[in-house]
Amino acid sequence: MKNENSQKKLIEEAKKLLKECRLQRIIGFEKGSLRFTTTPLITYDAADAERLVINPFIVNNLSNFLIGLEGKTAIVAKGCDSRSIVSLIQDNKVKREDVVILGIPCAGIIDLDKIEKLTGRDRDKIDDISLNGEKVLVSFNGEQGEFAAADVLFDNCLSCDMPTPAEYDVLIGEPVAPKPPVPPQELNELKEKLPADRWRFWQEQFSHCIRCYACRSICPACFCNRCFADENKPQWLSPTPHWQDNLLFQVTRSIHLAGRCTDCGECERACPVNIPLRSLTREMYDIVNDVFDYRAGMEKESAPLMAAYETEEAEDLIL
Amino acid sequence: MSIIKKIDKKDLGKLLEEWKQNFKLLTPSLQSGIADFTEWDGKDTSFTDWYRNTVIPPKRILLPLVENMFSYSKGNEGYRLETPPLDENKQLVFGIRPCDAKAFSLLDMTFKKDYQDTYYLNHRQNTLLVGLSCNDPYASCFCTSLDSSPSDASGVDIMLTDIKYGWLVESVTAAGEELIQNTENLEEASEEDRTEAESNKQSALQKISRHIDTKDISEKLHKSFDDEAFWQQISAKCISCGICTLLCPTCYCFDINDEVTVEGGSRYRSPDSCAFSVYTKMPVENPRSDKWKRVRNRVCHKYQVYPMLFDEIACTGCGRCIRLCPVNWDITQTLESLPSSEVKDAK
Amino acid sequence: MPNSDKNKEFLAEGNAYLPHIAVIEKIIEETPDTRTFHFNFKDEKLRQEFSFSSGQFGEYSIFGAGEATFCISSSPTRRDHFEFAVKRVGRVTEALHRLPVGAEIGFRGPFGNSFPLEEMKDKNLVFVAGGIGLAPLRSLIWNAIDNRKNYKNIGIIYGARSPQDLCFNYDLEAWQKDKSLNTIITIDREDPGWKEKVGFVPQVLEKAAPSAKDSVAIVCGPPIMIRFTFPVLDKLGFTPQQMITTLEKRMKCGIGKCGRCNIGDVYVCKDGPVFSYEQIKGFISSEY
Repeated sequence: MKNENSQKKLIEEAKKLLKECRLQRIIGFEKGSLRFTTTPLITYDAADAERLVINPFIVNNLSNFLIGLEGKTAIVAKGCDSRSIVSLIQDNKVKREDVVILGIPCAGIIDLDKIEKLTGRDRDKIDDISLNGEKVLVSFNGEQGEFAAADVLFDNCLSCDMPTPAEYDVLIGEPVAPKPPVPPQELNELKEKLPADRWRFWQEQFSHCIRCYACRSICPACFCNRCFADENKPQWLSPTPHWQDNLLFQVTRSIHLAGRCTDCGECERACPVNIPLRSLTREMYDIVNDVFDYRAGMEKESAPLMAAYETEEAEDLIL
Repeated sequence: MSIIKKIDKKDLGKLLEEWKQNFKLLTPSLQSGIADFTEWDGKDTSFTDWYRNTVIPPKRILLPLVENMFSYSKGNEGYRLETPPLDENKQLVFGIRPCDAKAFSLLDMTFKKDYQDTYYLNHRQNTLLVGLSCNDPYASCFCTSLDSSPSDASGVDIMLTDIKYGWLVESVTAAGEELIQNTENLEEASEEDRTEAESNKQSALQKISRHIDTKDISEKLHKSFDDEAFWQQISAKCISCGICTLLCPTCYCFDINDEVTVEGGSRYRSPDSCAFSVYTKMPVENPRSDKWKRVRNRVCHKYQVYPMLFDEIACTGCGRCIRLCPVNWDITQTLESLPSSEVKDAK
Repeated sequence: MPNSDKNKEFLAEGNAYLPHIAVIEKIIEETPDTRTFHFNFKDEKLRQEFSFSSGQFGEYSIFGAGEATFCISSSPTRRDHFEFAVKRVGRVTEALHRLPVGAEIGFRGPFGNSFPLEEMKDKNLVFVAGGIGLAPLRSLIWNAIDNRKNYKNIGIIYGARSPQDLCFNYDLEAWQKDKSLNTIITIDREDPGWKEKVGFVPQVLEKAAPSAKDSVAIVCGPPIMIRFTFPVLDKLGFTPQQMITTLEKRMKCGIGKCGRCNIGDVYVCKDGPVFSYEQIKGFISSEY
């Protein structure tokens, strides 16, 4: 299987790097404590590198762990993750020479929530899931189901335009071609609604928000030392989870991320109450693309969008 | 002496309807898009098809997301404070799992000790728990390691257990017994029903696949408290969000904030998390600005401090933290990998 | 140790979270960023009956801005009004500093434990304080002065960064005049016009070398001052049991429920804030 070979190569490479280059650590994935789950592995011990895995469940955007680190780090990065790393380099939060990027071409990550919905079974009742080209085979209780990959991959994987990292030091695996863009269905459906209906939709969604701030904690682009939501002088919003303050938090966060969000989708995945956060962040992402012809994390030399100014800017923004 | 009855699945709606007459009835539902306990809509009993456990723990009934502590207004005579009225109706939580019900007992220990927490107690006193034994634990469940089981009735007033066509209904407390006696829509349970329920309880026990050794866990944690290298390594992948704490049935830390309105304002209590970096922040210093200290504090509070204060571990093995952590940080792995040798004498 | 049973007498409507309304009667500007507030309860009965012990604290509300923790800095022996001192460091303290005389605030308390007066009886008392750390101590100092025959020698060593940072100047004056006390005031660095001692409080303490025999040292000030003072006391022969301090942690509820002020199994709001160094050394957590 493709993944097995890549995994072997990754382990070899990781061990080599840990021995030869003065790395402080390597960040990758290892088998998680639940079925079909992986978990970040952060280690400086070459023996631990044996546990590194590559499979269709390596969902985390590991670039999140680069912030505030000292010394040199080798990091496993899928296409989307490599964009986040580049975006962090653009923002001067990470130095290019401090990271050794182990690029992993990625055909898409499987969304266990979708598998659960399609099979009607919880993940701990499923025996095996394997990705085979455009098909995903799921076996449970003797039965086997076959699904189109497009039906079980995460939404943002469906329209991934950088499955193969553009920025890397070592590429592990065969490059994967970008997929044709798939319009963000949920977002577009929302845009069809009348403003009053949209408002009601978000009011309903954000009444479930528990202010766990997982969206913020898991986002590589949310790296402020003191988030505006934690300020009390002035107090921008109430720490109490009223739906109005929850909505205000998320909208403001999306705006703060303009030009830095790479639509990796981690915020939506991490949200424990299933708020469709990408419908907000993706909208910001598209606005930035439309208005400024800019996408974060494409070129490490270019200045961050909000930190750059051209004298000939689009003035039709200013009314 | 407990009263034992039964209810058939097809009659569940009638039972719930009857109870709804006298209680605010809360059942598992997907009404809010996520598995939670919400007020029964009067007809839907389909939760019996999918319900294993909710995402939002029922502790929210006792410690709501937004609790108005009092409102204030300023008139000619100065400030006037007004506390919200006490809960009007008694509420009944239908289908609470043993782990979540035991959690209520653990929360009681903190909220009843020394000062009475009137808000919590108001909700608690008015809540009757009708438990539902687990017959299908998650792979992440580990209640049996924490002095409990899929059928542990110690926290509930009435316990239901799956049997072939419905549920066995057993009273546990006097309040539960009283309710059963006053309930029409229950049938007599046969000896076979009781035997079947007992056998189902046993087989559920066998299905728990996750175990930790909690023997001397408090001492082990005490010995490894100052092992910074261990805690640094174990906490490296934690992202300091609040999911584990906010969705834990026994976590209770809260925040208090004032809000201003045109007429005056209100003081609200809302859940907080020791995982947040600002949780212990003072102007002068922050004793837990380091992530590893916060992770250590959380583990130690549950498995070392609570036993010191109340002789109970503040964890019921529900497994939500493991299932919902965005990086799959697993407390059972941490507890199983505590350094066995004493690092150094604490002081 | 906890005084919660006695404290519960003064709960508004039996609700530990509900403040009493109090009125600010006087404001003293101690330093550019520190003020003392004299207040009294609006309710006549409470005004007559309210009592507390030195070392205890209250949760003071500025409705709308929030609540903050301050020790009760007046002595329980002088009950015509009550006092607390506030350094302006954030949102709530800023709101407090903007209040005029006559403004209404909320008060919850008294909370916490208190200085162990019984164990201090017939002992020498050595007070060591820095900056606003004198606030909890001054309650005890006046308490001791008002019960002077209960104690043997009383020494006070108080310091601040500069003359402008000295708080409670009116107390310092009174204490220096009182021959039954030995009062030393110091500032950290030389300052034109300053005629008295210069030096950090721990160093001045070491020079003063109070006897440890039958003595109790009560220490309060910035964390760094406390950390340097304990070793000096140790050098002078004080046992950890003879060293007492008050710890400060971020607090919200003040009654040991919200969780945040814990040091291991100890809640600073409920089991403290007064601790002996002996107790501190016995904490299971080093996070103090």
